[in-house]
This record gives sequence, C-alpha cells and structure tokens, in this order.
Amino acid sequence: MDALRAEHLEKHYGQGDTLVRALQDVSLRVARGSVVALLGPSGAGKSTLVKALGLVSLPNAGRIWFGDQLVVDNGRLLASVQELRRAHLGFVFQRSNLVPFLTARQNVEIACEIGGTSNPKKRALELLDWLEVGHRASSMPDTLSGGEQQRVAIARALANHPKIVLADEPTAALDKVRGRAVMELFRKVAREQDAAVVVVTHDHRTLDIFDELHEMEDGRLSPTALATVAAH
Amino acid sequence: MNLAYLDVRHRLGRFIGTSLGVALLFAVVLAMAGIYLGLVDDATILVRSVRTNLWVVQQGTRGPFADMSRLDPSIVARVAAMPSVKRARAFTYQVMQREHAGRSLRFALVGLDFPVDRGEALALTHGRPIVQPHGEIIADASLGLAIGDTLHVAREELRVVGLTKQLLASGGDGLIFATVADAQLLAEDTPSDSIRAERERRTERLRQTDLGRAQPALEALTGDPDFRAPALASSPIAAVLVDVEPARADAVMASLAQWPDTSVFTSAEQEQLLLDGVVDKPRKQLALFAVILVVTSSLLIGAVVYMMTLDKTHDIAVLKLMGASPWRLGGLVLQQALAIGVVGYGIAVAIGVQAFPHFPRRVVLTEDTVMGVFALVLTISTVASILGIVHALRVDPARALEG
Repeated sequence: MDALRAEHLEKHYGQGDTLVRALQDVSLRVARGSVVALLGPSGAGKSTLVKALGLVSLPNAGRIWFGDQLVVDNGRLLASVQELRRAHLGFVFQRSNLVPFLTARQNVEIACEIGGTSNPKKRALELLDWLEVGHRASSMPDTLSGGEQQRVAIARALANHPKIVLADEPTAALDKVRGRAVMELFRKVAREQDAAVVVVTHDHRTLDIFDELHEMEDGRLSPTALATVAAH
Repeated sequence: MNLAYLDVRHRLGRFIGTSLGVALLFAVVLAMAGIYLGLVDDATILVRSVRTNLWVVQQGTRGPFADMSRLDPSIVARVAAMPSVKRARAFTYQVMQREHAGRSLRFALVGLDFPVDRGEALALTHGRPIVQPHGEIIADASLGLAIGDTLHVAREELRVVGLTKQLLASGGDGLIFATVADAQLLAEDTPSDSIRAERERRTERLRQTDLGRAQPALEALTGDPDFRAPALASSPIAAVLVDVEPARADAVMASLAQWPDTSVFTSAEQEQLLLDGVVDKPRKQLALFAVILVVTSSLLIGAVVYMMTLDKTHDIAVLKLMGASPWRLGGLVLQQALAIGVVGYGIAVAIGVQAFPHFPRRVVLTEDTVMGVFALVLTISTVASILGIVHALRVDPARALEG
C-alpha cells in the first residue's frame, strides 16, 4: 500500500522570461516500508519536490495523497497543515537542526509532545535507545558528534509514528562511515516502523541501501535502474 | 515542556544581563512613582497631622502654605465663641534656616496653640508632646536631631522632647513644632537695635492714640515683649484651626465665610490647594519622566525580545515543521518577554527597597505602587512581545530545510 502518492506536480517560480519550472509533471508513489532515493544534480528540483511533499512549499498544480487521504488538490491544501504534519510527516534535515537549548531527549520529547503522544518522555527515550543514542539522552546538541546528532534528528522525525519520513541530504555533513550508518538507519526505520522514507542524496556510495532510485533533472523525475546509477 | 524556560536556562547569562538592564529602568520608574507619592504625601501630611476640620486664613489668601496669611490672634477667640465650634487653635508656619552644631539646618517651624494643642495628635516615634509653654519642641527625625538636643535660635534654647518620622513640609524640609509663642519669638528674631527702635515706635504710636493719651503709664509696658495693648498690633498668626461637630461643619463654614476679614477652607480644600499650587509642576514633571521611562522600557524589552526571536528563527522553523501550533510559538516569545519583565521588576523592587531610603527626597513605596507598577510591567512586556510574536508566526518553515 502506498504511504505517499503524488501526481502531476507542477511548481513554477517567477514569470515571463524569468519563469523557472522547478517541477514538471512529477508523479511519485512510495510504498510503506520502502526507502526511496531522489538523485540528481544541484538545481534539478529534488529539494523543491521534498518541500512540496512535506507541504512546506505547495505545488502550483497536481495532487498529493497521504495514504488514502487526498491532502493537496491542484495546489490547494485540503486540511490543516499542522494537523497533517503532526499526523503523517517526519523531517530529517541536511544538518541535524536540533534545537540548541534542548537536550537530545528534549529534542525528541518536544516532537512527541507536539504530536500529542501520551507519554512523550518515555517515547523519546525508547526512540533514542532504538537508534542507539540513549546514553546521550541528557547531552546538549553541541556536545554530540555529527552522527549522533543525525540519529537524534531521526528519532525526532519518528516521534509521532509518521508514515512518511522526508530527508533532505541527511548525510551531507557526515563522513563516509557515519553517512552510511545513517542511511542504514533509514532502511531500519522503513522496515521496522513501516514508514515510507524519501531521501534526497548526492552520496552514490550508499545507493545499495535504497529500494528505489529516482533521478531528477530540470524538474522532471524518472525512475532509474540501480545498476545504472551505481555505474556513475 | 516549557520551551521559554529551557531557552532562558540555556542562555542564562544573556537573560540575566538583559533583566538587569531592564531592572535599572524599572527601578527608575518605581523611584519616579515613589518620589511623586512622596511629594504628594509631604505636601499634605502636615494638613492631615494637625487633624482639624476647617482652616481660617487671611481674607483673600490661600494660606498658610500655598500663600502667606496673617491673622490677628484675637480671631481665635472669635472663632471659639461660635456655636458648634469644639475647639479653635492658633497656627503659625514659617520656613527657616539656621546654623546648628556647625551645619545649616533648614526646617519648617509650626506653632501649636499651647496649652490647647500640645502636639498630642502628632504620630510621635520617640519622646512626648510639649508640656512647657516655652523652650520645648517636637522635631522630625529627618533633621538629625535627637531627644534632649538643644537648638539655639534667636537667643532662645529649644530642647527636643519628641520626635516624628517623615513629617515633612511640601518642600521636603523637616518639620519642627513649637508653641505659638516660641514660634513667634523665632519668627521675630530681630537685632537689639531693631527692638529698641521698634519699642520707641510703639511708644510713639501709643502716644498718638486716645488710650495712650489717657493712660500715660501704659508706656512703661511697651517694653515688655509679652504686653499686648488692645489698640496695638500683636504678632500675627498664620491661621486658625477649627474643630467642629461634624454634622455642623457646613453651617460653621458658611458662617465663617461671611466674615469680611477671613477666608475659610476645609482640610480637603487645604490639601488640594497644596497639590495644585506647591507640587503641581514637580509632579507633572515626574509624571512626564515616568511616561518617558515606561516608553523606553517597552522599546528596550521589545528590541531585546525581537532579537531573541530572530536568533531562534531557525529553531522556530523546525518546530513549525513538527507541527507546533501558533499558540505554542507565540507563547514561547510572550513568556520570555514576561520573564524578562517580571525578573527585571523583582530586581528593581529589591534595588528600590535597599536604595530608596538613602535618597535625599522621600520615596514612598507602597504596596499599591508596587502592585500597580507590576501590572504596568506585565502590560509593557506583553506589548513589547508583539513584534517578536509576529515574527515567530511569520517564519517560513522552509527555512528549516536550508543548510
């Protein structure tokens, strides 16, 4: 079953001679439990697509479903964006973007609290343990390594049992070993949390982790064979 | 989870520094309010302390404080003879400056109509009321005098027998209470040559009257400072304090108002005269300063809170992506503004309690003032947070996705 479905997404910036078509007739389906990579050069529209799917920057046209629920129709939002984010979405950013004045546990706990989890502290500790950073629960973000910060960020993204996790270049600031470890975590999230994970990445060394690869170029999306990409 | 508290704890140094700055401003606001109240209280405390119903003063004047008033002492007896008048007392008032113990002592001298008025109505902190017709005074502690101290004025020795606390004139000078006779002696402290010249003038005036011509022996009495020939001028008094039966106050006042040589005011009117005349401009100036400081405090808190919110723009974007409600984000900013205001105000009150008693002018810090300014602080903080809240609500969640 699809956790996320997008059809014929269009996103334009500017007009006339300065018109930029960031997304052109983009359609995508992501099943529960699968990890999908969005590849492509800078400016191809990967981040724009993630912003559209995350309801951060709505498309000008097209439709988006979260599970069975149509949430965007012809660029129009059909429900409260806060409710939809709380109920369906988890974000992981290029940098961990942990709130600097909260401990690792509190960073996850605040997400649980916003999502309405009944026992946010317990849930936060469980997630940190599951992602093997439970021992750093009381640490402030600036005392965590890059890999630990991303694990906490992933825990935060999972706080609300989201069915869709969107990650925008989550390993950009990490070295090869830590980058791979984080990507493997996404596969773990998809398999064990039954979530659909969409990852924007430039890191071709970890592509074997993904179930599907999609290449973006000039705002267009095309499925790509693993072998083809691996050969790049 | 209280994000405002956690953020403050994380940046405690900056928060304390900001609160201290705000505290100094609030301390000045408190001081202005306290000085204002002190001014009003100082201006009216004497009127309240003498506890009388009506003030009879020289006709056409607004005496004895806002204006000079000179009445013949015989008016006391005229007033006392009126129906429904329980008591009439002579009252004198003058501001003096004399040397005492090597320093300049500035005070307002109030004459009490001994033995009718011995100063029993005054709130004495130490000592006793006046019991001798001459040579005893009650002084305010702000003058630095102690029980038993002797004041040498006008070749007279005046011994301090009682002390009051914070009983000041409208100008902020401490009050000294003496008998009317002593007060007049001090007021008429003139060099010997002047006394001799005045004695001769009196004798000459006496000779020009029928009384003097009919009774030449009276000339021998003109040298006696206590002699008051009916046809000769006596030392004037400033006012007559009239205690009446409350139910008859209006009637007595109406009768007194008919007299051609006097004006009459109630105690409330006397207080208002002081407020309108003596302290009107200073209190307006203080009020203006207070308004400027309140506006400055609001702008300062607003700027600080706005900067703090700007610093958190990225974090707010992340929270928005998590689905944080506008209430939670607005609450974060509002709570921090209130925290700065409340902590700053707490420090300001502590500063005030320690520092205000050492101010040269009296600063009255009442519970009502503290609570009133606190309510103002809450309002200032709330208003000051608006800009920060608006910024927080306008933050684009997409900023969280930026590197």
